Amino acid sequence: MLAPPPPAPYHYRDVVTLSPLKRIRAVPRWRRALAFGAAVLALASCRSSDTIVVGLAGPFSEARGLSMKRAAQMAAEEINRSGMLGGRHLELRIMDDSANSARAIVVADSLRQDRRVVAVIGHLTSAPTLAAAAVYNGGSSPVVEISPSASSPDLSGIGPYTFRVCATDLAHGTALGQYAYVRLGVRHVAIIYQNDDYGRGIVATFRADFLRRGGTVDEQDPVLGPETDATPYIERIQRAGTAGAVMIAADRATAVAVLRLLRQHNMTMPVLGGDALTGIQDEGALAEGVYLTSNYLPERPGPVNAAFVRAYQAAYGGDKPDHRGAGAYDALHLIADAVRARGADRAAIRDYLASIGTAGGPPAYDGVTGRIQFDAGGDVRDKSVVVGVVRGGRIVLADTP
Amino acid sequence: MTFADRFRLSTIRSRLALGLGVLVAGAVFGALFGVVALRSMSNEIDAELRSLREVSRLNAAVQGGTLNTIATAEAYLASPSPEIRERLAALSAETHALRLQYRKLSELTPDERLLIDSVSRLQSALEVEYGLAHAMADLGHTADARAMAARARVPAGLLTQTIRTLSDRATARANAAAQSLQDSARTRELLLLTLAAAALVAGIAFSTMTLRAVQSPLARLVRSAERLGEGDLRPVEHGAMATEFAVLAGAFGSMSARLGGIVRNVVDESERIAGSAGDLSAISEELAASSGEISTSMIEISGGAERQAAKLTEAGVAAGELQQAATANAEAAGRVAQLGGEIHRVAERHQDDVRGTLSALLELRGVVQTSAGQVADLARSSEAVNDFVALVKRIASQTNLLALNAAIEAARAGEHGRGFAVVAEEVRKLADESAAAAEQVTETLEFVRRQIEGVTRTMQEGAQKVENVESVSEGAARGLDEIIAAVAGIEEAATNVSDAAGRNRRAAEAIQSLAADASAQGTKHAAAAETVTAAAEQQSASTQEMAAAASEMLAAAERLRKVVTGFRV
Repeated sequence: MLAPPPPAPYHYRDVVTLSPLKRIRAVPRWRRALAFGAAVLALASCRSSDTIVVGLAGPFSEARGLSMKRAAQMAAEEINRSGMLGGRHLELRIMDDSANSARAIVVADSLRQDRRVVAVIGHLTSAPTLAAAAVYNGGSSPVVEISPSASSPDLSGIGPYTFRVCATDLAHGTALGQYAYVRLGVRHVAIIYQNDDYGRGIVATFRADFLRRGGTVDEQDPVLGPETDATPYIERIQRAGTAGAVMIAADRATAVAVLRLLRQHNMTMPVLGGDALTGIQDEGALAEGVYLTSNYLPERPGPVNAAFVRAYQAAYGGDKPDHRGAGAYDALHLIADAVRARGADRAAIRDYLASIGTAGGPPAYDGVTGRIQFDAGGDVRDKSVVVGVVRGGRIVLADTP
Repeated sequence: MTFADRFRLSTIRSRLALGLGVLVAGAVFGALFGVVALRSMSNEIDAELRSLREVSRLNAAVQGGTLNTIATAEAYLASPSPEIRERLAALSAETHALRLQYRKLSELTPDERLLIDSVSRLQSALEVEYGLAHAMADLGHTADARAMAARARVPAGLLTQTIRTLSDRATARANAAAQSLQDSARTRELLLLTLAAAALVAGIAFSTMTLRAVQSPLARLVRSAERLGEGDLRPVEHGAMATEFAVLAGAFGSMSARLGGIVRNVVDESERIAGSAGDLSAISEELAASSGEISTSMIEISGGAERQAAKLTEAGVAAGELQQAATANAEAAGRVAQLGGEIHRVAERHQDDVRGTLSALLELRGVVQTSAGQVADLARSSEAVNDFVALVKRIASQTNLLALNAAIEAARAGEHGRGFAVVAEEVRKLADESAAAAEQVTETLEFVRRQIEGVTRTMQEGAQKVENVESVSEGAARGLDEIIAAVAGIEEAATNVSDAAGRNRRAAEAIQSLAADASAQGTKHAAAAETVTAAAEQQSASTQEMAAAASEMLAAAERLRKVVTGFRV
């Protein structure tokens, strides 16, 4: 029961990931310049003028990255088919960050150095997005990153080149706090959170709302991920017996691990989580009844979304897209619009995105995730989230207050 | 195209202004560059220092926060309390905020970001492990809690190490920044020096250019002025020069041009005057001569007029005589015509008589010609006698010669030869007698011959005369015809003469009256000519005075020309 948790090899691994960069740095400057010049020449001689490259960064080796990748590819095909870029071919440079912030920094650096890359869609989760944001915003030629689903409130205003098409945890956490207190009538809540930017962000917003309403947070226990054995926390919550609900502020895998422990301890109180839990409905009975927020559901009404979902299902064997896919789909269309309007220039694309919906700028964009129009912090204004619940392997709209 | 042209440095002012401008611009630019360089360096230093301060502050804060977290967490293990948990939560939030600040530092390199990420993860791990330890402690699993807390020292140690690495990185970055600042300072220093050198070179270049632009035109202008002083007024090409000098040169040029023009005008005028004076002089001389001639002519005219008057009077008389002669002529002609008519008639009457005489004469000629032939035969016979006489004479001469020789021989022979001498003498006498007889025959023959010759001549004359008579009678006949024709011509001529005489008379009458008029006019002419002569003499005097004045003028013009030829134009 109290078996020591497995060693944490990532501590070392993350430090070791420095080595490729170190190797680059070890090369004398003049040779680097030479290599860079050669690369630039090579890039210039190949179809740099008729190819628009957009970076796509996310945990594509994992299930949560799948919809994002598919939707982005679908959008790229649509854009190329439509010829809206005047014969120029839109190409995705897909890079896997494994939802790891260290990996994300390396990926971001690589994408930013690639002069062909005019913009980046990514990253999927909050911690890598936050870690990479400084990279995308830095240097002599910053590049736009549009995250489809990173919700951390810390991301707001982190840099002029950082945008996201999803709602922030301020919306998610507040919606959850309200739902728990008002709809579920919970007054005491225990929080198990993933001790990273995402988990801390959504906990902070949930906690603020819940406390404001008069609720009490009994516990607030950090985990690193699914590898952390949260048994002590669960037992403590069980022993205290006051918690009317458990808020799992973590990604799907971690949430599944925690949920499994809760079920093992026959704890049946309601479980709530953020949109990071999306996909948990595939866990069968375990996930039944879990509440989770989302700023996008495939059932979202409107012809634009209906067409998108239809096309997605047709392309990928009936699978439905998730909010990450929808976000990536909208993000790529936004970038294509910017390129068409202002050319394949990083700064021009950034200016185009910032001016959407402003006086003199292009009109607000009606995407599959709703109307998109960025505020000064790079967030989408008035992005509402809904609370869903897993019923029979599907996320359905929970009865909203 | 020169540098000066290209930059329109056409005036000294612009050259000076440009030169000074370049120097001032160089100085200002250098100063600005220095200020900007200093400011940017101080900004860089500031930024670097700020970043370093921030990094070290954050490093210290993170380190402090970590130590605090560890201390507080350990304290909780010793004596759990809600306050300590609250403090731990607060510390966690604080560290999170610190990390966020750390991340937002823009001057970080990717590996520094990775280190910060590591710090973040290690802190997360630390918090998770202490959180688990606390939960175990709360559940009463003290030993497990301690074991878990012990495990937390691994990330704690790594954390300290990583933070130290971060500090090292910051230090290295500071060193690198210092080095790069030093490098950039050196570069800027070099740039400033280069700028100063460029300004200096530009200054020297402009000074030299300006000096050259002043000196060379000045020298050229001085030369021009000297030439002008020497009286050389020919236009001078000064070449390209600064506008100020060009204006001066232009003034020089126009001055010398105007002077030259004046001198040229004076020279022309003096030449023209000299020419005119010469002409005048010549003309006045001619005039003087002409007036002399005129006066002479006038005198002649005067005389001539008088003579003419006399002559004309004579002419009048002559014309009168002519008139009379013409009248007489006419009358004579009338008489001639009358005579002609008479001659005509006589000639026609004698024509038949002449023809009869002519035929008789022709018969006579035949007789004469026959007689002439007989006489000629006689003459030929007398000539044969002549030849015989000549032979006798030749023999007699030789016999005489022989007798002479015999006489000489006989003399030599003395007595013996006396007889012989007598014979010889006798022979010689014979010879002489023969010769004399021959001479007598010759004389007789001569007489006969002369008789024959006389007859022959008479015969010939007669024949000739008969012949002449023939031709004369033919001529007479012809002459009669001619006379008849001539008489007709004379009659006509006489009529003509008569007419002409009439006309002559009328003409003479006209001449007479004209001559009378002319005579009167001539008298008048003579008077006028005298007046003209007087005037011509006066004119001559004036002309001579004029000639004198003209030669004075010529001399003056000559002097003037000598004066102005001192100038070269």
